[in-house]
Order: sequence, then structure tokens, then C-alpha cells
Amino acid sequence: MEKIMNETTPKEILLEVRNLKKYFPIHKGIFGTKKTNVQAVDDISFYIYKGETLGLVGESGCGKSTAGRTIIRLYNPTAGEIIFDGAEISKMDENELKPFRKRMQMIFQDPYASLNSRMTVGDIIGEPIDIHNIATGEARQKMIYDLLERVGLSKDHASRYPHEFSGGQRQRIGIARSLAVEPDFIICDEPISALDVSIQAQVVNMLEDLQQEFGLTYLFIAHDLSMVKHISDRIGVMYLGKLVELSSSKALYEKPMHPYTQALLSAIPIPDPEVTHAKHRIVLEGDVPSPINPPSGCRFRTRCQYAFDRCTVEEPVFQDMGEGHMVACHLMDNGKA
Amino acid sequence: MTEKILEVKNMKTSFYTHVGEVQAVRGVSFHLDKGEALGIVGESGSGKSVTSMSVMRLLQYPGTIKEGEVFFKGEDLVKKSKAEMMSVRGNQIAMIFQDPMTSLNPVYTIGNQIMEAVIRHQKVSKAEARERAIDMLKLVGIPSPETRVDNYPHEFSGGMRQRAMIAIALSCQPDLLIADEPTTALDVTIQAQILELLKDLKKKVNTSIILITHDLGVVADVCSRIIVMYGGLIMEEGRAEDIFYEPLHPYTMGLLKSIPRLDLGHKQRLVPIPGSPPDLIKPPKGCPFAARCPYAMKICLEHQPGYYERKPGHKAACWLYHQDAPTWELDTGVRRVKG
Repeated sequence: MEKIMNETTPKEILLEVRNLKKYFPIHKGIFGTKKTNVQAVDDISFYIYKGETLGLVGESGCGKSTAGRTIIRLYNPTAGEIIFDGAEISKMDENELKPFRKRMQMIFQDPYASLNSRMTVGDIIGEPIDIHNIATGEARQKMIYDLLERVGLSKDHASRYPHEFSGGQRQRIGIARSLAVEPDFIICDEPISALDVSIQAQVVNMLEDLQQEFGLTYLFIAHDLSMVKHISDRIGVMYLGKLVELSSSKALYEKPMHPYTQALLSAIPIPDPEVTHAKHRIVLEGDVPSPINPPSGCRFRTRCQYAFDRCTVEEPVFQDMGEGHMVACHLMDNGKA
Repeated sequence: MTEKILEVKNMKTSFYTHVGEVQAVRGVSFHLDKGEALGIVGESGSGKSVTSMSVMRLLQYPGTIKEGEVFFKGEDLVKKSKAEMMSVRGNQIAMIFQDPMTSLNPVYTIGNQIMEAVIRHQKVSKAEARERAIDMLKLVGIPSPETRVDNYPHEFSGGMRQRAMIAIALSCQPDLLIADEPTTALDVTIQAQILELLKDLKKKVNTSIILITHDLGVVADVCSRIIVMYGGLIMEEGRAEDIFYEPLHPYTMGLLKSIPRLDLGHKQRLVPIPGSPPDLIKPPKGCPFAARCPYAMKICLEHQPGYYERKPGHKAACWLYHQDAPTWELDTGVRRVKG
């Protein structure tokens, strides 16, 4: 069930993110002189234990993908620290970063855009092996074949091109590529959103098996809360660049504390007519505000049914409510939910 | 006696591409009662969208309806001319699409686009059409519709655009609304708003709805009857309760087993359906699901099964229900919480 949580062995932190910010500048005015920022990720902090899966959920534009890409240094962070296995990697240059690149990998959402259509599958998987000088010649070939077989493809596929594969198979190729460097940590950015329901389960089961086999740590980014709850040990919920709640997936589902989490959970239709009809649905009014000019105080206050004066003026602190259940909401100060 | 508003009989639709004939829909029959919400569920390539596009006669080259009849209020739509279809589409049958970003014209105001449909189909003045447009925006829950009517699509958010699409679709009070993945491009909280709106509209204006989706949660919420499609054919048809609590077809069972349930506490390993869907250029001779079916028998690979009706209105195309078939211990994938 929960792989790590139930064991008594002390948990080792693999990755820690402290006050991470990522702003994207936008230039306004005729000469592009007026500068404002899109506050895509604004001051988030969390950590991931070795061997666990941390889910990151939120709606489009909440900053979950930006957070993932910043952690793996595809983007340079605006501020904050990223500590990977004891080393601060947020300010490293490319040379210093290279050994860490080998240990952190990423699986992307779109299996059509993330594979080079002019390269054979063998070369796609072989590229990271070459870059990091892991193997050459026959050893390299054998590695590629092994990886293909490990993700449920066959070695005959190595000489084919991506267009010859279905979406699910392409995602397997992407996974094989990320495994080629034997990483410790993989960021899965919506790895199953583009796949059909019956194929999603195949890929999710495979990710779970690989985690067991290689002791991998995952940051699983997705908007599908049912699937995130299925795969994650702990889940963080993001809204407009902020982390609003983080806890074990069980506690998050059974006892959501933040009004946004509550609304998000209630909005998901359950594939069971009786349950879904009996469900009390909190329908949020309006849309997510712009991250260029986010609301003052709590960013969720404009859609929150419980919002009061303090929410406008003061930003709630992301605090531990016990057993590692972190929430950023003023309601929690009074102990009412 | 309920009135049938739509009846599709043995419809076959193919796309003649340079690699061969893609038989997207291979003989589909179903009906829709007045005021009913019917869900068509299936994965990509199952033929669910092509079915609706065929009903609307919106197929683009090289797609053609090869065979079959589509009776809408007693008239066969397949036999209608292009001009005749123009007076049906948007007027009596309306459609909303998945992507609200690309289905609105960016250079016309939202109001203009609603008025266009009204002026085209009904004898009303411009001023009356504008009034109607404002009423429609109010109906679909757009705040301050009097000013919003003059906005352009880019001034609307994704959820509001989908509401505007629904306003256009409902502007001529159609008898039938076809919604093709109306919430797939939207976030869950916005999806919840749109689903509530659809259910509300069904009650208020008694529109019949066909909802096409891959999301079993969405159909469970909105639809009273469900069709499950696979490989261009209907695999199973029944009331929502039949499909979710007493599924007959191994494909339906497979779908139920492969999705995680948010509401169930203990974590169960997902049971994926092995393999991938059939290639409809060379559709399999027998049951399209046979190659992935855990219960497949010899006959399944060779002959397409007919429909076996287990109780009125609940039927499945599966040889398992033939009288001579062996009895299996079927793992239905049903995880019913109550009762």
C-alpha cells in the first residue's frame, strides 16, 4: 500500500526545495520597456523522500509543470534552493550540473513531441548513453535492447522510427530513454494524460514496477487526481503558483483541509452513478485569476466561499497541522475547516 | 410510450485514404428517446466521434456514409440534400465540440456568433436576435451578459468559451444537442461547472442530449443510458446502472478495471487491458476485442457476435452469452460501494 510510510526505517530525503520561485518576464509597451512578471511558481517548499512518489496536482496554469522543469534545471530558478542528495544545484553551471543530470530524468506529456522523429528508437534511447559515456559498441547495443524489453517492447523495435508506434508505445520509448542513465529520480510530467484509458493503466503499472525494481523516486505531475492518488504516497496541491496543501494521499482525500482541495476533490466525477449522484459538489465560481497580477493575500480568496477580511491582506503561512499535513489557509488558525 | 427522436440504423462510415479504406464505423444502430441523455463511451479510434459527425452529416472528404439510415423525427437525414441539412443543423440538431478555442471565430463578437444562428434559422430582427443572444448568455451562466455579448472570444476564459458554445448551440432551441467531449479540454473545477449546466439545461429546456466522451465519470454523472463503442462497433448498450453495476461485455469490464477510483480507500493495483486497439484498415474478422479479451474463444476470432439481450434494453455483442458458450467466472470489475 503505502510503500514507505508504514516502515519504521528513518526516511532519507532525496530532494528538497526551499522557497523556490520562477518568474517569467513579459515586456509591455511599444519598446518593450515596461517589465512585469508572470509569477508561475512563487515561493514553494517541499521535500521528497528516497523511494517515494510525490504527486503534484493542480489546474492548468497553476505552475506544477514549471515547478518540475525548474527543479530539474530546464529553467533557471528566479530564487530559492534546490537540494538534491545534499548538494545545492540551483546555482550550478552546466559543467557542475552534468553528474546530476544523469541522476535526474524527466518523462514528458506529449509522446508525439518528445521524441525526435528523424532518429531511430535505438538512437533515441542511445543518446543519453552516449552523452554520459556509459557504454559503447556492443555493450551499448545490449543496453538498448534490455531497456526496450524492460518497457515491454522488443529489440526489433530499435531500428524503427517513432511514427511507427502508437501513443502508448511512444511513452514507453520515452520511459526507456529516461532509464538509460540509471537515474535515482524521475519527474513524470503528465505522462499519461495523452493516452487512452486502457493504455494509461499499462503505463502506470509499469512505472510502479520500475520504481520497485530500481528504487526510483518520482515526482508525478498531473491534473487527474484519481490517478495521482492511485500512484502517490504524498500529494501536493498547487494553486496559482503556490503550494496550498501537502499531505499523505490518504489524508488528503479523507481529510482535505484547504477549501481549494475540497472543491477540487468534489469536482471529480466518480465512475459510479449512485456515488456520483449522491456526492455533494462544491462548484467554484469563476475562473483562476491571472498569475501576472495575482490577488493579494491568499490567492484563492477570490473563489473561496469561506474568505474573510484577513485573507485579503495577509498571505497564509504554509504550516504543519500535524503528521506532516501542511496547509496554507487562515481558517486553520482557528481550528475550523 | 416514449417518443424516439433519433434512430440510427446499421450505419457504416468509411474514410477512403491513400493507404486504404478506414472503416471507422462498421454498422452501428441505436436510438435516442425524447428528453434523454445518452452517453457514447469509447477510446480514440472507437468510432464515437465519427458516429456523431455522420449523424450531423459533417463528415469531411474522404469520409463517406457507406450504408445506413439516420431517422430524425421520422425523416432520413442521410437522404437529405446539403441545403436541407443546413436547415436542420444548428436549428434542430446542434453540436458542441471539444475545443472551445478553435470552434469560435476570433474576429466576431460572441453576440454576433449567437445572432448568426438565430437570424439564419428564425425570422427575427437583429434587435430581437441580440435580445435572444443576451438571454442565452444569461441561461448558460455568463455574468453581466449585457456587456459580455459584445466581447470577442479572446476576452473569454476557456470555461466561458465553452459556455458561449453551448449558448450558440441552444440559441435555436434544438431538439437534439450532440456534445463531443465538451469538457475534455477544461480543468476539473470548470468541467464541474459545465456538467452542472448541461444537467440543468436538460431539466429546464428538455433537450435530448448525446454526450460523447472517454471519461466514465462524466457519463456516470450526466447520462441515463450508455453505449460502449470499440473498433467501430457497439459492444454494449444499457442503462447507466446496467453498464456500471452489471457489465456484460469483457471490454466494459476491462475499462472499469483499468481506472483508479478516487472514492475507494484501499489501493488496488490497476488491471490494464493488454495490447492495443485494432487497425480499422484491416478490421478483424470476428469480434474486434477478441485479441485483447481474456475470455476469447475460437469463434470470437472468426465470427462477429450478434447482440444478446440480457434484460430489456441491456445488450452486448459477445459470444459468451450464446447458449452453447461455456460458463465463465467473470471478473466484472464492479466495485459497488452501496447496496
